[in-house]
Amino acid sequence: MPPVIRFMNVSKRYNLGLTRTSLPSVLSQWAKQALRGGASSDRKYHWALKDVSFDLERGQSLALVGPNGAGKSTILKLLAKITQPTSGRVEVNGQLSALIELGAGFHPDLTGRENIYLNGTILGLSYKDIQKRFDEIVAFSEIEEFIDTPVKRYSSGMTVRLGFAVASCIEPDILLVDEVLAVGDASFRQKCIERIKTLLNDGTSLIFVSHDMGLVRSVCERAIYIEHGQVQNVGTSGEIIDIYNQVLDRRRIEKMNRAGGEADDVEGGVEVTKIEALDAHGKPVRETYGDQPLEIRVRYLAYKDIGKANAIVLIYRSDGLMCANMRSHLDGYPLHITKGEGEYSVRLEPLQLFGGTYYAITWIMNADDSDGLAYGASDWFEVRNRVPGREAHIAVYEPNRTWRQNVRVNVTESARQA
Amino acid sequence: MIAQTNPFLKLRDLTWAWTLRTLRGRYQQSALGWLWAVVQPVATVAIFAVVFTRIVPVDTGGVPYILFSYAAVVPWTLLATSLPDMAMSLVQNMNLVGKIYFPREALPIAALLARIADFGISFVLLIILVILYGIPISPLGLLFLPLIFLIQITLLLGLGIGAAALNVFYRDVDPLLKLVIQVWFYASPILYPVILVPEKWQWLYFLNPMAGIIAAYRDVLIYNRLPGEYLLPAAAVSLVIFLLGYWFFKRVEYQFADII
Repeated sequence: MPPVIRFMNVSKRYNLGLTRTSLPSVLSQWAKQALRGGASSDRKYHWALKDVSFDLERGQSLALVGPNGAGKSTILKLLAKITQPTSGRVEVNGQLSALIELGAGFHPDLTGRENIYLNGTILGLSYKDIQKRFDEIVAFSEIEEFIDTPVKRYSSGMTVRLGFAVASCIEPDILLVDEVLAVGDASFRQKCIERIKTLLNDGTSLIFVSHDMGLVRSVCERAIYIEHGQVQNVGTSGEIIDIYNQVLDRRRIEKMNRAGGEADDVEGGVEVTKIEALDAHGKPVRETYGDQPLEIRVRYLAYKDIGKANAIVLIYRSDGLMCANMRSHLDGYPLHITKGEGEYSVRLEPLQLFGGTYYAITWIMNADDSDGLAYGASDWFEVRNRVPGREAHIAVYEPNRTWRQNVRVNVTESARQA
Repeated sequence: MIAQTNPFLKLRDLTWAWTLRTLRGRYQQSALGWLWAVVQPVATVAIFAVVFTRIVPVDTGGVPYILFSYAAVVPWTLLATSLPDMAMSLVQNMNLVGKIYFPREALPIAALLARIADFGISFVLLIILVILYGIPISPLGLLFLPLIFLIQITLLLGLGIGAAALNVFYRDVDPLLKLVIQVWFYASPILYPVILVPEKWQWLYFLNPMAGIIAAYRDVLIYNRLPGEYLLPAAAVSLVIFLLGYWFFKRVEYQFADII
């Protein structure tokens, strides 16, 4: 069976200088060219991709990893046939659905119901197919009550939910997902990821673009590291994530050295480079139990000496409920930040959270706690219930507990039975 | 996999959905709703009727001026409203064109269809007027109506699709088009009958396809006679314009997402 996607020596060039929108500018362009001797060498080109090749086999999942402007989105646009390559060949064998921009086809004046039909048609569904899946789409997007309200009155979260519901109901052979999951609330994001995983199990091939390395690790088998429009490395997603993180670390240190103590581009002068949840042995965890210890560890990089500062660590449940609010200076533990790398952590022992999906965020605050200097958010971590049969219950706190019962024996009754 | 793979069916479904979207978007929050489709041509005719019966009378060949004028204003309104809509259809939906792949023709075609819906409503009023004024209609002439309409649609499709594509590259298209439509109005037999054009210049006059199209509508609907051979150049010119417009659209289509 041939690969579902073959990307063969593909290059894509964008014209930057060529914006001839009006006659006066065209004339002045001609005049300039005539004066300079006719050569049109002042045209500015940008090579978004240079000689990129890769294959994707049926049922495989591939992540595109790299900094902003590396060419990841251009690859998706070429695959989706939105734009054409300047040279090389793009072969796509199968029905492709692109989650590049959620809700791009929504009309603000039309209702949710009307927009489902319209957007579904744009994505290539027939009227009958949409009718068949209508209830499923509405249920997935959780907007039942607002289905006959114009989309302009929707919150951005509702728009995103509806967009994902329509786009993912196609059950395509190939699914392209570009950073769209960054929007929307936490529980819906989780739902989207599960939906993507279901599609993968059903044989869909996936190309995934995200800056969230936790997501990349959990969704993709393979990854490509792209930079300056060229493929730098190919490997398992674990290998590529390590390479990417090394590149990021190196770049931060370069930036710090270049800045020479005058960090202009980092507001606050300090940056959170990593925030992780660790188990009792100091190893990163994605899954734990409420009766286990958990440590939230934050690594930061300061571009200058800051001196006294305060750390805030908050733990949120996936639906946005704040479950813990911890401030180091109030606990009598102010930070002292000097130029360079460092880390701080807070250990919760035991965690005592009820089963669910959580994440931690941190703020580094200035000395008088009035201004945030840096911010970071962790990946999701799952807390499991130790006791089976608790899935249906809702709670935040899972205390260490002991049950007791005292039975007062009714003497006369027991005597009678005896 | 359930998505549509036949590109023609996809174009058809999408064009239809987009037409409905355009119509709903246009009339959903307006009090008069679809009545606007009639208000515009009727208002135009009312003004003409005052000027060209009271101030500068025009020879209509025995037909009431209102009918004479309305029979031309209805097809003209279709052109004057649909061409700017079609020209703007790609540029106005640049977020869609740049982010999703779909048959791009759907947008200008849907813009035209949405105006044809208006045309249909005002055309019904035209038929009602013809009946009310007791004008005899020959069944043979009515057979020509679909042909005349088809020629007009061919012309509008070619111009509109070409203008939509060109507008992506040069935004001058929109104001230029409005200017052309203004001049074109006087070059077409709307305010005046064709017989006012000197005989020896009529061959040139009928190279304007709208001249033939409007003259044919009038012949069939209010003069109870068949269209003359002037319809041939109208059909030929319309077909050439359609082929040129469609060819240009297809030739530059792949650049839309990069430029828009």
